[in-house]
Parts: sequence; structure tokens; C-alpha cells
Amino acid sequence: MKQLAGSCAIVGMGRSICRRGEPEKKTPLQLMIEAAGLAMKDAGINRTQISAVFTGRMPRTYMSLQYNQAVLNELKIMPTFSSEVTSHGAGALGTIELAVLALNAGMIDYALCVCGEASPLWIEMVGGSAAWECDLQFEAPYGATTPALYAQCANRYMHEYGITPEQMAKVCVENRRWALDHPQAAMYKRGPITIDEVLSSKMIASPLHMLECATWFPGGIGSAAIVTRADMVKRSPSKPIYVAGFGQHSTHEWIGERMGFWGTEPCVEGPDMVRTGASVAARQAYQMSGLSPKDVNIAETSAPFSFLNVLILEELGFCDVGEGGRFVESGGVDYDGGLPFNTTGGYLSFGQSGQGLYLLKEVMDQIKGCPEGRPVPDVKVGLVHGHGGPNACHSVMLVTGEPL
Amino acid sequence: MELNWAEGLPVRVGEMFIGLYQPSPETAGYWEGVKRHELLIKHCPHCNKLHHPRRILCSGCGETGLGWKLAGGKGKVYSFSEVHRTTGEFSPSTPYVVGVVELEEGVHMFTRFLPRQGDADNAGIRIGAAVSVEFQVLEQDMLLPVFRLA
Repeated sequence: MKQLAGSCAIVGMGRSICRRGEPEKKTPLQLMIEAAGLAMKDAGINRTQISAVFTGRMPRTYMSLQYNQAVLNELKIMPTFSSEVTSHGAGALGTIELAVLALNAGMIDYALCVCGEASPLWIEMVGGSAAWECDLQFEAPYGATTPALYAQCANRYMHEYGITPEQMAKVCVENRRWALDHPQAAMYKRGPITIDEVLSSKMIASPLHMLECATWFPGGIGSAAIVTRADMVKRSPSKPIYVAGFGQHSTHEWIGERMGFWGTEPCVEGPDMVRTGASVAARQAYQMSGLSPKDVNIAETSAPFSFLNVLILEELGFCDVGEGGRFVESGGVDYDGGLPFNTTGGYLSFGQSGQGLYLLKEVMDQIKGCPEGRPVPDVKVGLVHGHGGPNACHSVMLVTGEPL
Repeated sequence: MELNWAEGLPVRVGEMFIGLYQPSPETAGYWEGVKRHELLIKHCPHCNKLHHPRRILCSGCGETGLGWKLAGGKGKVYSFSEVHRTTGEFSPSTPYVVGVVELEEGVHMFTRFLPRQGDADNAGIRIGAAVSVEFQVLEQDMLLPVFRLA
């Protein structure tokens, strides 16, 4: 596994955004194709040099079986290896991981990884999202909304570790401060929020208030990366960002049946609704890279609820198990002086766009010194955590600006 | 709403039938039990382990061929959430409580929790509270097992 560390680099990154209200409403396919074009330009390569295409899951607003085929058909790339990587939203980072494996196997020279969604441009998200995260047979008939599924874990987390509502709300407050600096963030112009405001916002599904839930990105985002071997990076004009380590872990599909799972990590002793695969994924990423949480200068997560951000900080090793609340409370992720965490504003204030590589782009931009929002000085090591399903799928990636 | 999960949910785009969502013959026995006001869970005849009604494979010993066992209908609240915002036919029922019940048999299931008999609201609910099964027609006109605080 260690031979993978730093073996490959991202030499091109592209992103295309269409916001609600723009004259031309774009599909995820359009956005992904535009992003792929930008990524190829950034890498200084053309379509004939790409021999692998990996896409994330099929977007909800351009549904077709074999979505990856629709993408490569449009790009006129004829790959020798292609697939959709679909562990919910965590599959976006999975595309890069698959690329690294194929590159190390010597099967390909360049991989295109591309993901996108544009649901908020096309469908009503709040009502339309309820059914997809729950089991239609055993959960939906009870009126299980998506926040209510996550709230099961939130309540157990608070019960087992004594996490307080104020500690959970603190993450929302800090995320918002970062969003106020990021011109693409959904909440860019909405001003700061306080812990009191978070906890007095409308109750959605107890214990989660409105400001503790992810906001939808007001539009669509396509994002694409070109990955190649470290010995090829000089052929590209852009600064390479090295893939230092990665890991993935999935535990379940439906939260109601999650408790039938035990005997392997993260639930060795018995069923448990709190611990996630993020800890397993993170440990693999650290082991592969030889890096530790102390080396990380910036961290992004796609955790869509307040408590999950706190929990993920534990899982990623930034504090001990059960200490997430105190870590956040004592300034661990403060905008001023804490670990730069969710520097786009995160899912709570930047917004969620289904899935994508845009958090990876943020970390790469920060390493390169050209972020869209507030710059984090001297970023050498960045961590991206992709989450998907109701606390089900996790992917962790460590990237560096210099070879390991 | 009469849904036959054994045959799955037909997915249509206008007049066009495009596929089946989650056909589930392995749970047909569960829904037959619900009609009789019986809560059934899966039982492994090889290792005696009990499972969620969805289970096809015994996660204890790896055998298939799971059968049904009548559950006692008693348990406790493992976790819960009071839903305040939702859509469609559930909206008039808010706030209502969904959650995961831990049955005495050790199986966990997603469900609806009802207030203690005589309580006006859900304020009495907490993790670990004792509950017992009832059968009620909920918002989508489906007869379902629900759990009332004891």
C-alpha cells in the first residue's frame, strides 16, 4: 500500500458552475463536459491521450443507465478502462482512487475523473430528497425524512458521549464565517450567525435545527480532474498536486438495518449507530502516506449536518473519540486560529450539490495559493473527506503540494 | 395504498414502465404477518440468530434459507427524532416521532413511536424508554407496526 503514496498526481482540474436564475439552465452532463474540457486544458493534454474515464454516480437530473458512457460519448474519449464509482457521494473521491490504482498497474497514462449534479436547477429538492436516503419498504412509510435518519445517529452521539447542542451549533457558526469569504458559497451574502441563532432556528428533526442541516447549492456543479503518474507531471504546465494517501469504507445502506452490522471495524464489539467508516478510511490514508493528523493544514468534509462535522473531526483523528464537542468548543476549528476546516463554508454554508470533486479543488487551490475565498497560508498537506448515504460511505484523501 | 413489495414498486415515466424498484419476495412473510397484527422477524435455523425482516443471508453463520419467528413486541427506544418539517401526506401529522426500536429479541427496526397512553405529546420519549408494539394505519394508508411508550 505504501508504494502508492505520492505515486500519482492531479495535473489538471476543472469546474463548471451554473447558478439558479442564470439565463441558460444547464444539465449535469453539460457541466461535467465543460469541467472535463477545462481539466484537459489545465493539464495540457487532449482527449486522445486519456485512456481511462471514471465518473461518480449517475446524477438524479440526467438519469440514464451507463452514465459514464454518456460522458465519454460526448467527450469522444475511447477508454481502455472506465467505470462509475458509486458509494453515494463518497464515490467522487473514489474516482481518483481508482485512477491511482490503474496508473500504478501500468494500464493507463492519464485518467479523467468527472462528477456532477445540478438537481436544484431541475427538481424540488426538499420534498424530492426524502425518499432516496431511506428504505422505501421499512422506513419511508413511517415518514422518515433525510434529516430524521441522520438525527437517529445525532441523538445516539449526544447520548453516548455527552455532546451538547451548543457544541454542535459551533461548527455551523465557524463554517458560516468561511462562507462569507467565498464568493461561490450559497450563504456568501447572508452574514454571520451565532450559536443562539442556530439553536433557535426552526426545528427540522430533533435534535437538528434548520441551520444545522446542509443547504442545497443554488445550482449545479460539474468538476473534473486529470490524474497521471508522478514521473509524467513535468509534461503538464500546471502545478501537480500529489495523491499522498487514500482510504474508503462503507458500513450500510439503510440506517434502520445498520444495527445488524458488527464484527468488523468500526463496530467490532457489537452494533453501534455512531462510529463511521471515516475512521477506517482515514487510518488507511494516514498509513499509506506516512502522514498524521498533525501534518494536515486544511480539511474539507461533505458532512451534511452539524453533529456529523463534530463526529468526523474525531474520526479523522483531529481529536480523541468522544472529544469532538470539547475540541470544537475550545476553538479547534475556529475561523480565527483553529484548524482550517470547511474553508468553502462546508455543506452547511457553501451548499451541497449532490456530489463532486469541488472540495478537492478547494484544497488544491489553497495549496497552489489561488483560492477563491480566504487564503490559508502555507498549506502543504490537505485532507478531503467525502461522505455519502445516511452516514454510510466514507472516502478520505490526503494530497500534498510536493512529492512525498 | 396497497403495495406489494414482493413484486417491487413499478417505476414509470408517464405511460412508460422503466423498471422495478426493490422487488422483495424475501419480506412477503413479514407483510402477511402485519395483516394478522403479528410482528415477525427473520430466524436462522442453522445458528438460531434473529435478524431484521429484510435479511436474506444470516450475518452470523452465512447460511441462507432464513425463516420467520414471532417477536414478543416489546422493546426499548434505541434512538429517535421528532419530525417537525416534512412534505406530502405526513405534513398534517407533525410533530411525530420516528426512530429505531431495539426489540427484546435483539433486533433493531425503524418505526414510529407513539406517546404514552394519555400523554398529549411526545415529551416523555427518551433513549432506553420501554415500548410495545401496536398496529396502526399511518398516513399513507398502510397498516404498520408502531411502538407506544409503556
